[in-house]
Amino acid sequence: MAEKNRTEALDRLKSEFTETEKVILNRRSVRQYKKEQVPEFMVRRILEAGRFAPSSGNYQPWKFIVLRDAEIIKGITETVISLCRMFRAMTDYRRKGYAWLRPLIKVMTRLRYNDLHPMPFTAIPLVAEGKLGLWHGAPTVIIILKDIRGAANPELDCGIAGQNMVLAAHSMGLGTCWVAFSKLALEYSPLWKRRLGISYPYKFATSLAIGWPVGNPDGMITRQTHAVDWFENGTVKTIS
Amino acid sequence: MGRFGFLDRFRIPTYNDPEQMQFGIVEIDYEKCTRCSLCAGACPAGALILVDKQPRMREVPENECAFCGDCAAICPAGAILMKSPYRFTRFYKTIDQGESSPPRL
Repeated sequence: MAEKNRTEALDRLKSEFTETEKVILNRRSVRQYKKEQVPEFMVRRILEAGRFAPSSGNYQPWKFIVLRDAEIIKGITETVISLCRMFRAMTDYRRKGYAWLRPLIKVMTRLRYNDLHPMPFTAIPLVAEGKLGLWHGAPTVIIILKDIRGAANPELDCGIAGQNMVLAAHSMGLGTCWVAFSKLALEYSPLWKRRLGISYPYKFATSLAIGWPVGNPDGMITRQTHAVDWFENGTVKTIS
Repeated sequence: MGRFGFLDRFRIPTYNDPEQMQFGIVEIDYEKCTRCSLCAGACPAGALILVDKQPRMREVPENECAFCGDCAAICPAGAILMKSPYRFTRFYKTIDQGESSPPRL
């Protein structure tokens, strides 16, 4: 009997994604939110999804801060915009008359290759000019702090907890967006760190915008495949 | 797709040189487009701009499309086709990536 049930379940799997897979595959980053606030119980449920994330040694090296105060969200956004203006002035060699900056920025890029990766590099001027929002008008923001004393790799554990929360939110019909740019205010601005009480052993990891989406942003799309090396029975093959 | 060579470790590409940095490309079907402008609002790269309420992909080198697909997913008319992903060179060389595809069962 059990054997038969399993065969049926596998047949179903071959023709259809599971509900969990659908949430994962349909999740898109949302950058347009309605003003309407998210009910508190939903945010608490999202936090629960984060609380039950796996972490190295089950040390749970995170602290979540919920921001639902429009004045604070606006203030942090303004700080990030002004810092982006400063960074643009210092780094953007693509502007007319600034080609001389290029060799210097390339050396800096080699040293800070994550921070000056082409994607954030090209996004800094967009944020500075107000063409790309910070939290995109989301009424709820969850800031994820890492406990730097965590086992092995606390930043990774924070990412796992964050993705748990994101998937939970999308399964409820909410939209989310990962926003790491808030680091500019929450790691480099002593004022905001003091105001939000971010201090040792906590350090900014990332943040999530959460809210009701405008339109229907979720849906499946096309994406690059990646080479996967597959070792089995003494042979190796590469699939994509 | 090419391998990541030793020299690639030290050569940083010039971000506004289309030879070195090829960003994503999406195609808009203007027959289907209803001018709702949701796509431009969804674009994180400022790569889709509105001209007469119609989305246009910005020209190289201003186009900085990350091929995230947020525009294609949000389009209620299914008017946006994801054409080709970004291709970077030198230090950020795109390696080990194959053809794009939707989720496969």
